[in-house]
Amino acid sequence: MAKITIPLGPQHPALKEPENFMLVLDGEQICDATVNLGYNHRGIEKAAENRNYIQDIYLLERICGICSHSHVSCYIGCVEEIAKVEVPQRAKAIRTLVAELERIHSHLLWLGVAAYEMGFETMFMYTWRDREQVLDCLEMLSGNRVHYGINTLGGVRRDINAQQAKEIIKKINYLEERTKYYVNLATEEPTVLARTQNVGKLPYKVALERNALGPTARASGVKMDVRKQEPYFIYDKLDFEMITYDSEDVFGRVVVRVLELVESYKIIKQVLSALPEGAISVKVPWKIPAGESVFRYEAPRGEDIHYVKSNGSEIPERVKVRAPTLSNFQSIPYMLKGDYLADVPITIAAIDPCMSCTDRAVVYDAKNGKTRTFDWEELRKYSIEFYKKKGVNFSTK
Amino acid sequence: MSETLKEEELKKELENKFAGSIYEIQIARKNRMWISVNPQDALRLMSFLKEKGYFHLSTITGFDEGENLGAIYHITDYYTIVNVRVRTPKTSPSLKTVRDIYPVCESFERELEDLFGIKIEGLPEGRNYPLPEGFPKGVHPLRKEVKLDELVKQLDSQKEGK
Repeated sequence: MAKITIPLGPQHPALKEPENFMLVLDGEQICDATVNLGYNHRGIEKAAENRNYIQDIYLLERICGICSHSHVSCYIGCVEEIAKVEVPQRAKAIRTLVAELERIHSHLLWLGVAAYEMGFETMFMYTWRDREQVLDCLEMLSGNRVHYGINTLGGVRRDINAQQAKEIIKKINYLEERTKYYVNLATEEPTVLARTQNVGKLPYKVALERNALGPTARASGVKMDVRKQEPYFIYDKLDFEMITYDSEDVFGRVVVRVLELVESYKIIKQVLSALPEGAISVKVPWKIPAGESVFRYEAPRGEDIHYVKSNGSEIPERVKVRAPTLSNFQSIPYMLKGDYLADVPITIAAIDPCMSCTDRAVVYDAKNGKTRTFDWEELRKYSIEFYKKKGVNFSTK
Repeated sequence: MSETLKEEELKKELENKFAGSIYEIQIARKNRMWISVNPQDALRLMSFLKEKGYFHLSTITGFDEGENLGAIYHITDYYTIVNVRVRTPKTSPSLKTVRDIYPVCESFERELEDLFGIKIEGLPEGRNYPLPEGFPKGVHPLRKEVKLDELVKQLDSQKEGK
């Protein structure tokens, strides 16, 4: 049978940043895949060199709509290290609290997206409904649902009171109950298992070679979590587990994320039960002394790493950002090889890519030289129908 | 026991093995090392680091110091980050690819080519990354001589020309 090449992307409605995959098919099976990135370059690093340190906080918060706190914390970590700022314990605790709320928000969102790609729309509705609880907490704490603006140089901008803490605990208790249900669904529901087990395989060795990070790596048994390896904020004082799983497939990535939700609830309860008293920020001068620093941060998708160089003025000399998804992309071609075309949506979604949206994919038929346009939605429907024929069906009909 | 014992041991070993190639080496704190090395010995140094267990190239940061361009390779064993700095003159900026040591380097090195105009020897020809197709040739936006408002004007006039 003639091999067919399918370009997928650069536009992608299911995801947040455009990119492009060239899939080479042999019948239904993928025999090669390449990733092309760079459709969404906004020149943020150049822009950061033209703004002062405070303005950069708000600029870098807008790198991502989900990991906004991650990028800012990472950048601030660099600047505070250069300026030798001692951040008050209470500020560190509040940063930790927001970081874990963000992780819950991100993982619940992902669980919904993954369920949707599988055709399990009920679960998608459930998780996104529950995600509102976390967004309410973040709104209550910061005034915003997504770009919290909680961080500032030397601390945080808003304190938390006892009433707010009580409200957060109430919502976390509710989510804990709900998550028990998701753990059961994700690990026991036969249709979920049929769609995720042995799909998108990424062996341990390959995960290390290809720089897999975060839950993607941990689902291949890689013990890597910056919160444990180089604790920042107050993570060294908290009791939580690093979740790993050794199934090396999409199923493992579901399990790791669902169990990480449980760990995040644990962390939040510990932070709130022992919130240190004291100031929430210290004053940091506008001008930062010359120096350079690298900071690592465990974002929901994996290790985020920033480099900042200062030159003694109020404007940084250089800001470098490496988001986890760029690293995780290296594993995608390997995961796709040998899988079916129908597994593409869930496999790509399983690294939780922070990238945007496929409007269309052009299918090129090598045999008759015809092209036809496919969009992500069609590919998703195709994948659901493909599995229905094999008896994997989420609808009761 | 010193907190930075591991880093000091590595420093000693590197100073012995690469005397003459390394012109700056310092331990900033626990888990952070900074090394500046001659470009001709950079690959040998990185191979050595990989053998020592520093197997993960987190990213490569390009920089512009005026006379020199350069790159910092952030290499880690998940705990300690070794930052290897390599400089190259702006008049003919060129570095060798590290893909034989760290095969994941491709997108990072394309960034150096696009944003700083550093020629990477041994990197196969490919599409632009991360700059879009049709971006003005010879403009490397992260170089210090590229001013933001001039760049915006240039890009706008290009758009109008279409």
